[in-house]
Amino acid sequence: MQENKLKEYDALVIGAGIAGGETALNLANVGNKVLLIDKDLTVGGKMIMLSKVFPTLDCSACITTPKVSEIARHQNITVLTSTEASDIIQKDDGTFEALITTQPRYVVVEDCTGCQLCEDACPVNVDDQYQYGLVGRKAAFIPFSIASPRAAAIDIENCTLCGACERACPTDCIDFTQTVEKYTIKCKTVVVATGFQLFDPTLIPRYGFGRFKNVITSMQMERQLAPTRPFNTVLRPSDGKMPDNIAYVLCTGSRDKTVGTPICSQVCCMYSTKQAQLLMGALPMADITLYYLHIRAFGKGFNEFYAQAQSMGVEYVKGKVAKITEKEDGNLILRYEDINTGKVTETEHDMVVLSVGILPNEGITQLFTNRKLELDPFNYVSQANPLESPAMTSIEGVFVAGVASAPMDIPDSILSGGAASSEAANYIRHIAKKTVEV
Amino acid sequence: MKSKIGVYICHCGGNISDYVDVNKVREAVKDIEGVEISVDTMFACADSSQKQISDDISKKQLDGLVVASCSPKLHYPTFSAVAERGGLNKYNYVHANIREQVSWAHSDDKIGATEKAIKIVKAAIVRVKESVSLKPIEVKAQKSIAVLGAGVAGMRAAKELADLGIQVYLIEREHFVGGRISQLDYLCGADETGKELVTHLYEKIHEHTNVTLFTGAEVIKKSGSIGNFKIQVKITPRFIKNECNRDELLKAIEVCPVEVDDDFNFNITKRKAIYRNYDSEYPQKPTIDNKNCTRCGECEKVCSSIDFSQKEEILDLTVGSILAATGFDPYQPKEGEFGWGIGNVVTLPQFRRIINMCDDKLIYKGKEIKDIAYIYCVGSRQVDGDNKYCSRYCCTATLYTSILTHKKYKDIHSFHFNRGIRTYGKQEVIYDEASRLGDIFLQSYEYDPPEVTKLNGKTNVKIEDILTSGSEIDVDADLVVLVTGMEPRNDCSIGDVLKIPKGRDRFYNEIHMKLRPVETVIDGVTIAGACQGPKNIMESMNSALSAAAKSYSIVNKGELSLEPIIAKVDKETCVWCGKCAEACPFDAISMIKENGKDIAEINLSVCKGCGMCLPVCESNSIDMDGFTDLEIESMISVLAGS
Repeated sequence: MQENKLKEYDALVIGAGIAGGETALNLANVGNKVLLIDKDLTVGGKMIMLSKVFPTLDCSACITTPKVSEIARHQNITVLTSTEASDIIQKDDGTFEALITTQPRYVVVEDCTGCQLCEDACPVNVDDQYQYGLVGRKAAFIPFSIASPRAAAIDIENCTLCGACERACPTDCIDFTQTVEKYTIKCKTVVVATGFQLFDPTLIPRYGFGRFKNVITSMQMERQLAPTRPFNTVLRPSDGKMPDNIAYVLCTGSRDKTVGTPICSQVCCMYSTKQAQLLMGALPMADITLYYLHIRAFGKGFNEFYAQAQSMGVEYVKGKVAKITEKEDGNLILRYEDINTGKVTETEHDMVVLSVGILPNEGITQLFTNRKLELDPFNYVSQANPLESPAMTSIEGVFVAGVASAPMDIPDSILSGGAASSEAANYIRHIAKKTVEV
Repeated sequence: MKSKIGVYICHCGGNISDYVDVNKVREAVKDIEGVEISVDTMFACADSSQKQISDDISKKQLDGLVVASCSPKLHYPTFSAVAERGGLNKYNYVHANIREQVSWAHSDDKIGATEKAIKIVKAAIVRVKESVSLKPIEVKAQKSIAVLGAGVAGMRAAKELADLGIQVYLIEREHFVGGRISQLDYLCGADETGKELVTHLYEKIHEHTNVTLFTGAEVIKKSGSIGNFKIQVKITPRFIKNECNRDELLKAIEVCPVEVDDDFNFNITKRKAIYRNYDSEYPQKPTIDNKNCTRCGECEKVCSSIDFSQKEEILDLTVGSILAATGFDPYQPKEGEFGWGIGNVVTLPQFRRIINMCDDKLIYKGKEIKDIAYIYCVGSRQVDGDNKYCSRYCCTATLYTSILTHKKYKDIHSFHFNRGIRTYGKQEVIYDEASRLGDIFLQSYEYDPPEVTKLNGKTNVKIEDILTSGSEIDVDADLVVLVTGMEPRNDCSIGDVLKIPKGRDRFYNEIHMKLRPVETVIDGVTIAGACQGPKNIMESMNSALSAAAKSYSIVNKGELSLEPIIAKVDKETCVWCGKCAEACPFDAISMIKENGKDIAEINLSVCKGCGMCLPVCESNSIDMDGFTDLEIESMISVLAGS
C-alpha cells in the first residue's frame, strides 16, 4: 500500500467536507495532483448527513453524493480517510512538508463489498455517532448507507476482539494486523478546510439537554428527517410518540457571551425554518413554534423561504427562552420573555429542538511548526486580507476554505472553496515558475 | 437495436419509493425483450451503486443503460459517466425521471404514480433500444476570457485569470473603473477605503501584460459558443487624447459652463460636462459627457488634450469564456416612500457621500445634523412591491455608517427603525459596537412600517415599537436616512445580449446554487458578484474567484469536448427552403452548394441541439442525433399505448 502512494503532490487539502471537496475538485480539474484527507471514516463532511437543504429543499444527499463520487474517482485526487496531517513545515522555497498519519480501519477497503454481514455478527452495541446518538451501532460497522468509501470499519475502542466479524466476512477483508501508517509528503500549497463542530448544549444547563429526554439538538432532528433516517418517522425519545407540538430554541450557543460564543452562527435561523417546513410535511397535524431573537434570512431566496414558512403556519415568537422544565409526562415548559406582550410567559410543548450554533474545529494552529497560522478572536482561521483575497491566511501558500474561516452556509462554503482553489492554483503556478527559474 | 439493456430503478431514499411501488416497476419491465437485468437501489447515485452499475455493464456486456431516478438536470451527467466507466458509449444511456415527474408530482395517488413510472421506464427502454453511439465534437478553445464589469469583483477575477496566464479583456461600460465600491470611503472590516481598494486592484491589473482594459465599452453582440465566443464591443470616445496634459485638463474642467447632477454623488452635488469623479480615479483622465456637452468649445481654448474628432469604435473579439460581473443598482425610493422628497430625507448611499464630504461637522443643506433616523429595508422585504428579497448587506452597512458618524463627529444620536437586525456571522460585533455607542433600536414588523411626516419644520418618524410591547414612539430627526437595498441593474441589456436567465428576484440566475453556483445555462458564461444577488465585498470576491476558477477550467487546456447532440441534414432530401435557418436561434444554419444543389449546413460547434429547426422542415430532412425521430416515435407509442 504505502509504496503505491505518491509522496509528492501539488496541494494538500485538509478536510473533505463540501468546501474541501470543492477546492480539491477545482484544483484537480486544471491538472493539479491533490491529496485530500479527512480524519473521519468517510468524505462529505457534515453536508452528507443533512436531510434537505435551504432554500431550495434539494435533497442534500443528492447534491453531495455526485461530488463525493467525482472526488473519489478523479485521477488527480488521492483521498485518504481516517487520516490527519501534522508537523507541517514550510521550506525556504515556499513549498511544504507534512507528516501524514492514517489510523487503521482494520478492514481492507478494496476488498469490502459492504454486505454488512460483519455488522450482523458483531455482538457489541454502542451509540451511533453518525445518527448523533439517536440509535446504536455495532463495533464492526458501515458508517452510513451513502458513506464514501462504503466499507466497514472496526471501532477498536469498543471492539472485544471476539472474532465474530472475521468469521462472518465472505471476502476475508477484516484485518486486525493493520497498524498506524505514518509518512512524509511534499506539497506546494496547503488548504485548510477543517469545518466546524456543533455547540455542546450541556453548557447551558437550564435548557436541560441530557437530562430531559425530549430536548434534542437540531442535528438530531436533522437525522430524523434525513433519507437515511433511523426511525422512518419523527419520534420523541422519551416514549416514541409522534410529537405534535414542537418548539425550536434559536441561538442556543450563538450570540451568547455567557458561553463564550458572541457571534451569530449564520445558519441556524434558516435550518430551523427548513426543518419546520419539513416537519409540517412529516407531521401534518403538528404545531411548530420558533423562539427567536432576530430571523437572519439574508441570502439568495432566504427571505422568501422564511415568508413561505410563515404562510405554511409555522409560528415565530420573538423572545429569548430563559429556562426549560420537564413535566412528569415528558412534556416541557418553556419560560421566556414574549417581546410582543412584554410579559414573561410559560408555554408547554411536547418536544424541544435546540438550534445549536457552530464553532470552529480546534487544533488547527498546532498542525504547523515553523510558521504561525493566526486565528481570529473567535478561533476561526484569520483571513489576512478578507476583502481582496478571502482565502489568504497568515502563512503565504496556506489558504482557508469554508467554515474554517467563519460561520457560513453551504452556498457560501462552496464559493469560498472555489476562491481557495483559485488562489491555491496561482500559488502552485508561482512556486513551479520559481523552481524552473532556479 | 440494443438487446442487452440494464435497468436500474432508484428509491431515492424514500423520495421515490414512498409514493411509487419500485418493486412493481421492476417487475413490470424485467421481462421486456432486450432487458438483461433490472435492479432497484436505495440511492443509484451513491458511490457503491455507481460501482455496481459500471461493473454490471462490463461483466454482463450490456449495450444499453436506463436509470430511473431524479431529474436529468441533477444526475444525467452522473450516470452517463457511470456508463462510460463501464465501457458503454454514454449516448446509449437513457435517463428516466420518476421523481420530479412522478413521485413528487403525484404524492396523492400512489397507484397512478406507479403506473406512470412504469410507462416512463418502458419508454426509456424502447428509446435506448434505438439509441446510437455518438462521439463528442472536439473544438479548440480560445485561451482568452472577457470579463464584463471593472468593479472590484471583475477586476479581482481579471487579476486572478491573468496570473494564471490567460489573456483577459476587461470591459467596463463607465469611463472609470471601480464600480460602486469607488463611491465608498471607509469599508467595514478593513483598514482601507473603497477608493484605496480600487486603486490597489487597478494597479495590479495595469501592470499585467495579460489584461487589456476597455473603458466606455459595452458588449453589443455575441455569437458563437463555449470555447469560441465572438463578441462585438462598442467603445464610446472619451474625447481626450492619449498623451494628455493634466494641468490643462483640470483647467478645462474649471471653465466648462455646463453643470449637471453628479450621479457619482447620487445627485446631491453638481458636476461639469467634462469631469472626473475624484482625484485618484483611474484611468487618470477626465472624460466628456457626450449627452450633456454643448460643444461650446470653452475647454478646447484652455486645453490641448481635448479631441472632439474621436469616433465610436466597434471591436471584434474572440474569447473562450465570458465572466459577467456587472454589479447592481441601489434602490431608488418612490416619491413619498418613507418621506422621500420632503427635504431632509436621503438614501444610505447618498449619506455615505455626505459623510465623505463633511470633515468635522456633519452638514446637510446648510444645517448641522445631530439626530439621525435610519429606516431599514427600503426597497427590500417589500410587502406590496416586487422586491421580496433581503438585500443582505444593508443592516451591517448602516450600523457601520452609524459607528463612522460617532467617530467622525460629536454628539450624534442614531435611531435605527429596523425590521430585525441581520448582522449575520462575525458582523454581530458591529451590532454590539453600535449598541455600546448608545444607538437606539426600534423595531416593527413588515406590515406595520414606520411613518415619516413633516411637523413644524421637523421631520418626524413614528413607529409602533415591538421592542417596547407596541408603544407608539416618535423621533424628531435632523436627517432621515433611507437604508436602500440592492436591485438588479436597471439597464441589463448585457444580460439580454448574453441571454443569461434571471430569477424571480430579477438578478441573474446560476444553474444550481450549490452544485454549479457561478455557471449559467449559457455554456461558457459565468457570473460573479452582486449581479447574481446582493453580496458584500468579501462575498463578491469569493464568487469572483470561483467564477475565475470555472472560466479558467473551460479554456486552460485549449480544447473542449462538446455534446454531439445536434441537428443533422439529409443531403439527399434537403431542397433549401431556408426555413430552418430562420428558426435557428443560434445562427448555426447556413446555405451551401453541394453537387450543384443548394442545401442547409449545420455549424457543429454553434448548434445547441435545441430542435427548433426540426418541425419547420417541410421535407423532413433534419433529424437530431440522440433524439432521432425513431427514438421519439417509439417512446410515444409506448406512452400513448395502454
